[in-house]
Amino acid sequence: MPRNTLNRQLNMVQDEILLLGSMVEQATLAAVGTLKSRNLREAKLVFEQDQIINEKRFAIENAILILMATQQPMARDLRTLAALLEVNTELERIGDYAKGIAKVTLRMGGAEVNLPMMEIDQMAELAVGMLHRALSAFIEENANVALAIPKEDDLIDALFNTAYSKILHEMVANPATIDSVNLALWVIHNLERMADRVSNICERTVFIATGELFEMDGMDEEDLNV
Amino acid sequence: MEDMNQSTKYAIETRGLNIFYGDFQAVKDISLQFERNRITAIIGPSGCGKSTVLRAFNRMNDFVPSAHATGEVLYHDQNIYDPSVDAVQLRRLIGMVFQKPNPFPKSIYDNVAWGAKMNGFRGNTDDLVEETLRQAALWDEVKDNLKKSALALSGGQQQRLCIARALAVRPEIILMDEPCSALDPIATLKIEDLMRELSQNYTIIIVTHNMQQAARASDYTSFFTMDTDRSGIMVEYNETSLIFTKPKDQRTEDYITGRFG
Amino acid sequence: MKATDNFSFSLDQGIQSPEKGFHNRRHQRARLAQAAFRLTTLLAVIFLATLLITVLNKSMGYVVLENKVDPFSLSDRPISDLNNTELAQILRENLRKNRVRTLERAGFLEDQPRSTLVQLVNTEIIQPEVVESYNLFPSLINRSKIMADAAVSYPTARVEFRFWLNGAFLTNSMASQPELAGVRSALLGSLQLILITILTAFPIGVGAAIYLEEYASHKSRINRLIQTNIDNLAGVPSIVYGILGLALFVRALHPLTSGALFGVEGQNGRTILSAGLTMALLILPLLIINAQEAIRSVPISLRQASFGLGATRWQTVWHHVLPGAMPGILTGTILAISRAIGETAPLIVVGASTFITSDPAGPFSSFTALPIQIYNWTTRPQPAFQHIAAAAILVLLISLLSLNAVAILLRNRFTKRV
Repeated sequence: MPRNTLNRQLNMVQDEILLLGSMVEQATLAAVGTLKSRNLREAKLVFEQDQIINEKRFAIENAILILMATQQPMARDLRTLAALLEVNTELERIGDYAKGIAKVTLRMGGAEVNLPMMEIDQMAELAVGMLHRALSAFIEENANVALAIPKEDDLIDALFNTAYSKILHEMVANPATIDSVNLALWVIHNLERMADRVSNICERTVFIATGELFEMDGMDEEDLNV
Repeated sequence: MEDMNQSTKYAIETRGLNIFYGDFQAVKDISLQFERNRITAIIGPSGCGKSTVLRAFNRMNDFVPSAHATGEVLYHDQNIYDPSVDAVQLRRLIGMVFQKPNPFPKSIYDNVAWGAKMNGFRGNTDDLVEETLRQAALWDEVKDNLKKSALALSGGQQQRLCIARALAVRPEIILMDEPCSALDPIATLKIEDLMRELSQNYTIIIVTHNMQQAARASDYTSFFTMDTDRSGIMVEYNETSLIFTKPKDQRTEDYITGRFG
Repeated sequence: MKATDNFSFSLDQGIQSPEKGFHNRRHQRARLAQAAFRLTTLLAVIFLATLLITVLNKSMGYVVLENKVDPFSLSDRPISDLNNTELAQILRENLRKNRVRTLERAGFLEDQPRSTLVQLVNTEIIQPEVVESYNLFPSLINRSKIMADAAVSYPTARVEFRFWLNGAFLTNSMASQPELAGVRSALLGSLQLILITILTAFPIGVGAAIYLEEYASHKSRINRLIQTNIDNLAGVPSIVYGILGLALFVRALHPLTSGALFGVEGQNGRTILSAGLTMALLILPLLIINAQEAIRSVPISLRQASFGLGATRWQTVWHHVLPGAMPGILTGTILAISRAIGETAPLIVVGASTFITSDPAGPFSSFTALPIQIYNWTTRPQPAFQHIAAAAILVLLISLLSLNAVAILLRNRFTKRV
């Protein structure tokens, strides 16, 4: 079986993607944690560490471009590299969402706010879990697992709706804290988007395996805003 | 009406083509349609019979004493292996460019003009030479020394001269048998550009073992491989863009990703 | 992987061979081979030089000439200074009446060219005779001894340095006296013979080669038989061709080769034509094999290019294969002609005359040829004939080289035509 060089370098890039994935997972959980603990120092750390995620993303992108130029992959190899490029971007975006949540903690500061923390926690747990499994499936090129994951998005959507109405109620009940509570909308929005991005990763997994490209979850931002 | 469209759509078509060298079956049951004014690439590992099939189209296999073919190669609704077909006339209509540039040891001018003269060309030879050299994107490089020996040209120029020479007899189809395998990358790209230009007026069938070349230069790609008894078989035929991004057959996939064998 | 590990050398040992003994033996053998090849070349050069030196040695040197009649008893002045009247006078006085009458049949002696008269006086009255001749090397080394010996043995004779290959030798015909004999008719005979040989053998040979290479199927049994026969014929001794020529051209095709069919009377079949055709037969296998080789060396790719343009087989052969093969074919022709011009045995069998004083008048005349003449002279006992034989060998060599030069020029023209 020739093409050992391509295989080895492909594996290295995949490892890097997994590493980036776990960095993003950590950042998300940490960001949600700071929202609960209101540890501003921690939040600042999460906010700043997004820079590392960005740098890693550029490094991976560069490695993929070099592989494409030097190894001239075809068919499945080409699809894998194209998908890696896409997933790389998705992970960086998820990193940005984590950064956004840390920013919300920083904005709120010490303000006493009543947040739907239970729903937010659950959303974060679920989203991170989906991301983790989606990445595993992606590396294993397991289309069956990848096809199942986006369905879990419904749970997150339900939690989102609950949290959303709770936040609206809070706004009406305590107009004094409306500025801070309003920020919580960002948080749940970020978490919900995160799940969408996970769906995109799953789409890429199916693309590698079958060569087919299609949108997996019908719901997107526009639907929500209506 | 439907039938007529069907028959004129393809420049050449094979139906159940088998070619034998003595007892050995070189290719087995090839059925392929080649679209008019398109570039079709035939790729596959060494010994899969892709050149053999190409040479069947202008009956160059006739010169191999042990070779014979069964099945049909349809050209203008006629089987070219029919006894009534004049192979010499056929070769004028279906030109060929070979693996190694093989200009005649004559001047550039004579190289282009010779084939036309042999086929009874009666017009203005100077115009013909200029026109075909222009078509082959060689005119600007050689117009000042047409009397120079063709062997003094570079490999890439020689190959373009061979293409011009083939064009000078006004063929409909141009067969190219690994035309760039002896050329450097820049010369190769020039030939590929030229093929693209020519495909507006000619049907081009190219055999290549350079997959990148097939990917870059062709509209359609056909993948050949060897059977268990080492006969060549056609595995997959599709638009080039599909063959190289999502081939249907695992054997094609293995070959084009470099994981063959 | 395993195979490379078994090699005893590796890159980090650099150019130092790990096994000194092996290395030395290898280079020793290489040097030995080189020395052997150099030796063989040297031997070949020595043989050739010996041949040339022997011929040159015999072809010039001192001769002792004795006149039957002292020129100064005929006239006070040297013969070459006399005018026509005086020369005619001398001839009338010293020759028999019958001879004078024969000479005057064409006109009075006085009216004939002076050079003719001088020659007549020389050959018929003075009659210088070579009584002693020397080779080149003794002539150079023992000059004084030769002079002294000559003065003692032949007091009336004079000694002169002679090039046996001189103008008279080329323009004189055969004669029974070595001083008067020349190669004119033999040279002309050889040239006409070769002309007929080339004109016959070249087209037939090239034609046969084209057929065998380009048209004949290599699988056909008959064609393979023909091919084998041609290969074997090239090794048949030339005398066998002579016998064939005798039976076929001299006897069986007598009306044709004697010219009887074309109205030439009084000839038998032993003509230049018979000999030329026999020679053609002799070199035909050589020519065919060589032309086949030359045709085969024309790249297949050229033929394919030609066929690919819709050319017929004949167009391909005529425009590409033949021009491409021509230099090789001509080289083979040179070799074949070199062989033909030097062949003696078949000519003897076919019946070349050894004593002919007239020039060959065309394909239907009897003839002699240079090798025949040389063969004839070398068998004579008189030493002077050995010298003219050497001179004739030089003529043969020179004409051979000239023919080759022409062929080489032709070949270069073909090669440069690209």
